[in-house]
Amino acid sequence: MEGFLQALAAGLLIGAVYGLMCVGLGLIFGVMRVINFAHGDFMMLGMYVAFYLFTAAGVQALFGNTVGPFVAILLAGPVLAVFGYVVHLALISHVSGTRTASLEGEGHYAQLILTLGIALILQNGGLIVFGSVLASIRTPLSSSAWELGPFFDMSIFLNKARSIDAIVSLAIMILLSLLITRTRIGKSLRAAADNPTAATYMGIDVDRAHRTAFALGSGITAIAGGLLATNYPFHPFVGLEYVIVMYAGVVLGGMGSIIGAFWGGMTIGLVQQMSTLILPTQLQNAAIFAVFLLIIFFRPQGFFGRMVERT
Amino acid sequence: MLRIEGLSAGYSAKPVLNDVSINVGTGQFVAIVGPNGAGKTTLFKTISGIVKPSGGAISFNGVDLLAVPPPQRAHLGIAHVPEGRQVFPSLTVMENLEMGAMTESGRRDWQANIERIFEWLPVLKERRNQFAGTMSGGQQQMLAIGRGLASSPKLLMLDEPSMGLAPSTADFIFERLIEIRRQSGLTMLLVEQRVAEALESADHGYVLEAGHVVLEGTNDTLRADDRVRKAYLGM
Repeated sequence: MEGFLQALAAGLLIGAVYGLMCVGLGLIFGVMRVINFAHGDFMMLGMYVAFYLFTAAGVQALFGNTVGPFVAILLAGPVLAVFGYVVHLALISHVSGTRTASLEGEGHYAQLILTLGIALILQNGGLIVFGSVLASIRTPLSSSAWELGPFFDMSIFLNKARSIDAIVSLAIMILLSLLITRTRIGKSLRAAADNPTAATYMGIDVDRAHRTAFALGSGITAIAGGLLATNYPFHPFVGLEYVIVMYAGVVLGGMGSIIGAFWGGMTIGLVQQMSTLILPTQLQNAAIFAVFLLIIFFRPQGFFGRMVERT
Repeated sequence: MLRIEGLSAGYSAKPVLNDVSINVGTGQFVAIVGPNGAGKTTLFKTISGIVKPSGGAISFNGVDLLAVPPPQRAHLGIAHVPEGRQVFPSLTVMENLEMGAMTESGRRDWQANIERIFEWLPVLKERRNQFAGTMSGGQQQMLAIGRGLASSPKLLMLDEPSMGLAPSTADFIFERLIEIRRQSGLTMLLVEQRVAEALESADHGYVLEAGHVVLEGTNDTLRADDRVRKAYLGM
């Protein structure tokens, strides 16, 4: 019982961060219908940006070892958002949005090759610039825990860094949902996703809406990456390890549903941690995909997906 | 207000519109009628900038429209109520109307506009928190019209508002359009296959066949024309 609750708590904490990571990708896919294969590598870049902001750019000196990492991680978001903005402007916008009409397969082939190419450049460029030594954004909180309980002689330990990671993820998630459901910008993003042509008739610049979504999605995933880096070491190829989880989360949540992607990521976090109760740790990912396939078998549209897409 | 001169347009190499000239004066209600595939929707898409023309000119209140990027055209005061309604299915009725009001004038007049729209199309008020995708075709058409009106347009372009609707619903939509026009004096450009209703509602008409304007005139002239009577009115 104690083991179960402990795994549940760990699953919820990591699930919140996975959820945030998936939302970044889900936002881009939901609005643009572009599959960004480089998204894991955008996250890797976010991790390194947070790392260097912390160690080399004075955040550590200014905010100390406990708060500093989280400041650096939050700052990595806007940096990667700008990066995403530029990548969209310079590259992705040429094969997506309003320019797809003249391209074969609505530009999907070109998008696939382009984003895979960006992924390769980032991975190998990362290897040249950052080296292959494992890096991590450790804080003293990473190795200490809060004790919940004892209830009925049972105590649950919550790793402090992971708890703060989960709280930051939830806070950003709430801000994002407010942005997309309440604000003018958010509503126009959803309108552009629903029907780009009709959105143009309304006076919405669809390419600009896409750029906004791409920048936001890149920034959000970068923050999620930084949060993960407080507990997991990383390297230039770390994106590959996470990008599969991101896709599974987005598909689980329902392709095109931005909020759904969060619950997809949350589910994966829970399954991953709970599986350790009955399976060896090496089989964590196998467990994720067994559950993934099971859910997709019974609910192919995902948790929040619509069976009928676009009118 | 809208002046189209010698417009030619099409998809890749296939021309759809051939040397089309159309004039819409301020306050006019102009109908463009014609059979399937005549190029009516292409004409609207060219005005909105979704289709690039291969020749000709379009000016709107003296502005060279072809030099204006497509999303900016709505901000000049052109509201396009597209073929097949094309409401935003995952947005609520109210959010759809807000999207209509993305233009500066739409934002400024939002309160007054929304009251008038709800008065003209009460079903939108009743269903304002419903997702647009869950409404019936007729209700979606009314929403598409309301969304167009929410931008405080100078010109309302309606692409086959009767498409796919039951005859009684289509009649109701036409009746609403005439009432909206009577009260607001809005300039309207209508494309329709239901020729009798279209010519009855409008005060000027064009007949478009295979990408050419074959006939134009006031609604009385057109309705008295032998070819129109035989081909479209079944008389």
